[in-house]
Amino acid sequence: MSAVSPLRRVVISGIGVVAPNGIGKEPFWHACLTGQSGIRRITRFDASLLSSQIAGEITNFDPTQFGLTEEEIHHTDRATQFALACAYLALQDARLSGILNDTERERTGVIIGSALACVEEGEKRWLQLTKQGTSVPSMEPEDILPRTLLMSHASASSIAAHHHLYGPCSVIATGCSAGADAIGQAYWAIQEGRADRMLAGGTDASISYGVLDVFCVMGALSTKYNAAPERASRPYDRQRDGFVMAEGAGVVLLEERELALAHGAHIYAEITAFASNINAYHMTSLPSNGKPLQHLLTQTLTEAGINPTELGYINSHGSSTPPNEIAETIAYKAAFGEQAYNIPISSTKSMIGHSQGAASAIETIVTALVLERQHIPPTINQEESDPQCDLDYVPNHARRAAVDIALTHSSGFGGVNSALLLARPDWKNKHDR
Amino acid sequence: MIDRKKRRVVVTGLGIVAPTGIGKAAFWHAISEGISGISIITPEEGAIAERIQVAGIVRNFLAEEHISHKTIHRTDRMTHFAFAAIQEAIADAKLELTRENPQRVGAVIANTMGGVGYVLQQLQALYTRGPRFMSAFTAIAWLHVANIGQAAIRYGIQGYSKTPVNDTVGGLDALGMAYTAIQRGSADVIIAGGCEAFLNPFILFILSQQGQYVTGNDPNGYRPFDTRAAGLILAEGAGICILEDYEHARQRDATIYGEIVGYGQTNDANGLVAPAADGTRYAKAIRLAMQEENIQPEQIAYMSADGRAIASSDQGEFHALNLALGEHLASIPVSVPRTMIGHSYAAAGAIDTIIALLALQTRKIPPTINCDGHHFSFNLVREKAYLLPQTKRQRAEVALIGGRGVGGANTVLAVATSED
Repeated sequence: MSAVSPLRRVVISGIGVVAPNGIGKEPFWHACLTGQSGIRRITRFDASLLSSQIAGEITNFDPTQFGLTEEEIHHTDRATQFALACAYLALQDARLSGILNDTERERTGVIIGSALACVEEGEKRWLQLTKQGTSVPSMEPEDILPRTLLMSHASASSIAAHHHLYGPCSVIATGCSAGADAIGQAYWAIQEGRADRMLAGGTDASISYGVLDVFCVMGALSTKYNAAPERASRPYDRQRDGFVMAEGAGVVLLEERELALAHGAHIYAEITAFASNINAYHMTSLPSNGKPLQHLLTQTLTEAGINPTELGYINSHGSSTPPNEIAETIAYKAAFGEQAYNIPISSTKSMIGHSQGAASAIETIVTALVLERQHIPPTINQEESDPQCDLDYVPNHARRAAVDIALTHSSGFGGVNSALLLARPDWKNKHDR
Repeated sequence: MIDRKKRRVVVTGLGIVAPTGIGKAAFWHAISEGISGISIITPEEGAIAERIQVAGIVRNFLAEEHISHKTIHRTDRMTHFAFAAIQEAIADAKLELTRENPQRVGAVIANTMGGVGYVLQQLQALYTRGPRFMSAFTAIAWLHVANIGQAAIRYGIQGYSKTPVNDTVGGLDALGMAYTAIQRGSADVIIAGGCEAFLNPFILFILSQQGQYVTGNDPNGYRPFDTRAAGLILAEGAGICILEDYEHARQRDATIYGEIVGYGQTNDANGLVAPAADGTRYAKAIRLAMQEENIQPEQIAYMSADGRAIASSDQGEFHALNLALGEHLASIPVSVPRTMIGHSYAAAGAIDTIIALLALQTRKIPPTINCDGHHFSFNLVREKAYLLPQTKRQRAEVALIGGRGVGGANTVLAVATSED
């Protein structure tokens, strides 16, 4: 029972992003290139008792601007609304909004990554129903619970319902690598012919008292910069002291390459490899020798048949956590040798914070835009260099560069690491020459 | 385009924690004899006056028998279940992980609600006592990814590992994802399945508002395809299968339960409502699962149905089976063994697959309990266990496992007796 079948090529032809430093592709990209941070003091709840009182909140999100119906707004949690908005933007960006026919929609699916999904809504309703945790659950006859409560898969299902997409549809919850995993799995689905088009990305909206405390008590969050929030997320900098919580979403439209070319799509990039592994080390920390990441980087390049010398940019995980960036740097050197010093590397988490399952999807979008626009956003807040982080992290200022092939990778609690390799649409001609 | 040869994927080990039995032997005895694991639950277990009062709770489960004291306190009940099932599956497969390349072994474990029992306790500590009273282990116990993260650490596996979330079909998706990953060469061995533990007052309270679950205290209230259908009974548990590249399994002389031969996934795109009365897209998922290896309806020896026990959803499933299988449907045994277990969400699809593999192996089709011929709304399921006739097999026999979810998911897996 075996068959020989061709693997198809897959491209990114639509982008939708909702981030603390910009909603929509152009405002977001402008903010990234100009080094604008979206981190502020928390306004969503009273954070005065917590050690970390800052976050990348999205403060001006109006779901009605992104095609959400009254019913959707009423029945969905914040993370689902972000995802719906991004899917809407991605389809519009691809100029496919509302024009896919029945047959095409049968072959279009959705995969969304989420680390925490509808937790903010869950916490709010738990407080309401248990009277702040003091009684058994009960509710007044007039109370109505949103339909997405308890439904971590609501983001993907809601996108499918909104756009009448009948292909494969699911959520993946691999922590902070979830968004990249969603895009990677969608890439595989199109490659293998299980779908022709996929909306894929990540979403999380988890800036709540409960969630912030979960990460405060484990000492994962930045606590030194409550008075200077914009300076708090500082990957690679010697004064970094933990990640900064953020919310947001990013969704891309992936298309089988021939189909995209046939309708004259604007192609941002082609996906040329997806690889992932798991640390098997510790639930919240990673081996200091960077071995799992090293293996992952090597595997990714091997899968695409690429040499380190061809790699023009890395959008790193760069979570602003002291051990992470040291391990990353060791892994880059081990995987790429001396070439590691020549590859521009930036962490856009320095501006966005860590939007959990959305982060790696947003970073895939950044990577695609770097390829399209040949312009690399900086790692901001680079003030005092860490001797153990001595590579080119594109400090503080954006840089123009010729980039044909770029990599983005992510790691998360639980130890899942994922990487995607992207290339300019014409990369193959150059590569094969 | 790159040509590639798809690899064959077989199941070589099974592990199970269910209300009907902990461990394959006890579980299969109950399932094949039609013995129910549903029981009346207490208010502490989530029972709500006038509403949900029965569930498939796993009683007599001692986490200490499966994991260390330290790990127990840093993990939720969902992970305890997963560990017990994984341990059994690895032993059943006679898999010596120390002899494997860890980067070629992965884990794909579905889960729907995370370690919700653990996190609710911690929320209570936060809101009634203050921020310092929350456990530092909350994040790692609660996140869906806890199950694969902990499994990777315990077994030293470093390969492709994922956590699908898809309402009641996540377990089937986990097996489907693991199947495609091995097929395309991204791993050689994957520990795949699902786990769930959400029977607590808050979750049952929320679910009881949705009107899709049996209310009252009748342990026999789960009646799919029956005029008395009144919804599901909820359950907890875990089901794990060891999926393996066929050549890899052959090289180490593994016993093969069966082969995964198809995976179909579609969505009704009808929003966050019960599975649709229109079975068109579910039928398409069945066809997708069959077309991968060109399975003919006459090869199908068993259909494990979703059996939601909501009149419109059952109508949709009947519609789908007719569309996909046509006149052959009348001669295919269909059952909903979940009537004995309850619906354990992400664990369910994996448990159903284990049942289907054991049914093909023993030629015994488990029954749909609680239903009888006088009340059938569709002439589809059987009340009693059923022995497949002994025939001279010309081709592999196939079982289909179907699942649907709120949110429109239709997932179908096809497993076959292994041909050499």
